[in-house]
Amino acid sequence: MDAVVDMLRWLLEPGTWTGPRGVLARSVEHLWISLVPLVAAMAVAIPAGVLSGHYRRGQAVGALVTNVGRAVPSLALLVFGLLLSVRVLGLGFSFWPIVFALFFLALQPLFTNSYTAVREAEPALVEAARGQGLSEREVLLEVELPVASPVIMTAVRITAVQVVATAPLGALAAGGGLGRFIIDGFGQNDDGQMLGGVVLVAVFALLVEWSVTRLERRVIPRPLQGRTDASAVAAAGRAA
Amino acid sequence: MIELDRATKVFPGTAAPAVDALTLDVPAGEIVVLVGPSGCGKTTTLKMINRIVEPTGGTIRVDGVDVRRQEPHVLRRNIGYVIQQVGLFPHRTIARNIATVPRLLGWDADRTTARVDELMVTMGLDPDMGARYPSELSGGQRQRVGVARALAADPPVLLMDEPFGAVDPIVRGRLQGELLDLQARLRKTIVFVTHDIDEALRLGDRIAILNVGGRLEQYATPEEILREPATPFVEEFLGGERGLRRLALRTVGDLGDLGIGNCVQADATVEEAKRRAAESGERWIGILDGDRLRGWAWVSDLDGSRHAGDVDTTLFRVALSVDATLREAIDGLVRSRVGVAVVLGEDQRYEGMVTLDRLAQAIVS
Amino acid sequence: MTGLLAQASGGIRWSWITANLDDIWEATVEHLWLTGIAMVVGFAIAMVLSVAAIRYRRLYGPITATAGVIFTIPSFALFFVLAPFTGLTVLTAEIGLVLYTLLVLVRNTVAGLDGVPEDVKEAARGMGYTRNRLFLEIELPLAIPVIIAGLRIATVTTVGLVTITALITFGGLGRFIIDGLQQNLFVPKLVVGALGPTLLALALDGLLLLLQRAITPWSRRAAAL
Repeated sequence: MDAVVDMLRWLLEPGTWTGPRGVLARSVEHLWISLVPLVAAMAVAIPAGVLSGHYRRGQAVGALVTNVGRAVPSLALLVFGLLLSVRVLGLGFSFWPIVFALFFLALQPLFTNSYTAVREAEPALVEAARGQGLSEREVLLEVELPVASPVIMTAVRITAVQVVATAPLGALAAGGGLGRFIIDGFGQNDDGQMLGGVVLVAVFALLVEWSVTRLERRVIPRPLQGRTDASAVAAAGRAA
Repeated sequence: MIELDRATKVFPGTAAPAVDALTLDVPAGEIVVLVGPSGCGKTTTLKMINRIVEPTGGTIRVDGVDVRRQEPHVLRRNIGYVIQQVGLFPHRTIARNIATVPRLLGWDADRTTARVDELMVTMGLDPDMGARYPSELSGGQRQRVGVARALAADPPVLLMDEPFGAVDPIVRGRLQGELLDLQARLRKTIVFVTHDIDEALRLGDRIAILNVGGRLEQYATPEEILREPATPFVEEFLGGERGLRRLALRTVGDLGDLGIGNCVQADATVEEAKRRAAESGERWIGILDGDRLRGWAWVSDLDGSRHAGDVDTTLFRVALSVDATLREAIDGLVRSRVGVAVVLGEDQRYEGMVTLDRLAQAIVS
Repeated sequence: MTGLLAQASGGIRWSWITANLDDIWEATVEHLWLTGIAMVVGFAIAMVLSVAAIRYRRLYGPITATAGVIFTIPSFALFFVLAPFTGLTVLTAEIGLVLYTLLVLVRNTVAGLDGVPEDVKEAARGMGYTRNRLFLEIELPLAIPVIIAGLRIATVTTVGLVTITALITFGGLGRFIIDGLQQNLFVPKLVVGALGPTLLALALDGLLLLLQRAITPWSRRAAAL
């Protein structure tokens, strides 16, 4: 239990929190290295998933993205991000390697769930919409997308938590963020700092989950709220 | 065979009983249909017999033995059970599905295989089907397999819970007919649940009409129920056209000897034919060749011939079989041009004619 | 793009891979062992928990909630949390790996067993199946596709996590990544450490799929219709 006491001592020390290497500064870094890849992946994967779900095209590509995407270990993604950033694009260490890695990490769950959510929209509903004379564009934007929004938003929430929780890996590639405490604590045999880092990352992840849940209430049409849970999304991902 | 004595079921957390002190005797070898609206406890009643639902009061005896005195799984192996969704085991072939109860009872492989083959034939299933899986069958075929599976160990009692509720009307009608044929040979004691009064009237030797809460409104033969509904509830549940539906319960054969009708043999003289038509009050006459009916001709066309069979005849438009119901007979009369329906027996043999008068007599009696 | 790639791959000693095939093979086998142990232990525990959760419904909530909490702990953080208590050992790695498999395996096993159609169970009971036979002969076989789906996800996840456990045990293919990072981005090692587990995960995933097809012939024929 010494480690726990050490952790509390570390957390309670004022110096832990302030300065350019303090918790507050690292939290801002953590937010950036998570938010940039998440938003970028959403911009790519959600439209791609929604469109291929609507046109029912690209099942094979979708299945490939899903299966391979799940099989690549996060550490391998970091390696890929590193090589891309340092050797191919010459963008250097610290920021970009982990951003690339997290971007690739986020693509699969966002794509798979957007695809499945639109594809599995009630066929009768879609047919009725077409029957009322809605154009393809209107069917997609006014019927399929709102109906699919609970599943997509749940995927966003789960992906966001996953991204935030994986971001500490970046510290292995000289990145910033809360992962620094874990890696540095580990390297310096400082269990207090290491455990403290883990707790901070977990708290950060919970805050992110809470924020996205608030966002969901504004994005998802009210009657459709509360109809999806994480298991439905996981099941959807499995089915694809 | 099956005796329900004040059988009661109160589900936990509900105040009103689902079935309230229901007393009912099911005689051996008969089909008893439990029918009523949703919530009338018909399915609960059925499931209490094999203890899928445990009774909370009263006693139920099968073949004189209280069902609660036996282990549920032992009791159930002696009672065939067919449900609406069939519940075939998707991971087992058709043959293996039918073999379920014999295997549970520990029959040897040869006996089991022989029994499965026999049942596939009985139920009109293609022998090749044995190696297939349930997902590869149509709804009607699955239901037949379900019945075959229930009959596998030759149980004396069969419980059927809306077995034909999920198939389309044409297949349902066919399956009902097959069940009646099967029952004519096997003489099982069958309790059959349905919400369809027409199905009940067609299949039941007796019908128990239940009201909400498992109250027995009437327990009688279909004929009795239609003739004299015991309560306003029964009357309402039966719906309209009770008279016509009673006619559906009796066949043309039930009318007895129909006589030769307005017909003469082809070798009869024209005078004879005219006299017969006059007696019948008709302007036409039917012409027979022995026990075959050739057709009919106008009496006015007979003049100038010697024998009735010398003129050209027109075929009768409507022929009924002896098995046709009286309801079908009325329909035939309405469609017939000359106001009679010809009745043909086996091998198209002429059995006589049904007229509106003859039917009216039967209806009033 | 090809120009860039050529430039980026210039001067890389790919020959390291062919010169160290023995090491790579050894690490692969080790990787498989670490994965296999976690899967077998995790599966055994998951089966017990699932059956308990099915028989005693009240347990289902607490079991999945606990497993869910474990699952939300950032993956590599879990190993670091355990390290101060159980040391930098294979045991630490395996405890973490097993905990990670539990949520997916329990959730899928329970879902699989719950997904057995009610009419099938009722028909079986109505024909005189005892509770144990019903479970072994009807419910379990019918749950296999969903259970194996869970096994596939858990296996793929575990192969990836074993890569991370190299940070504390220096075992499995992940050690090439750590080496490669420390040796100023030694690319051949990084590629082996990253691609190796990916291919391994895909291979195991495929094998499990084949296994499922082999032992559930009924679902394949249904799907073919």
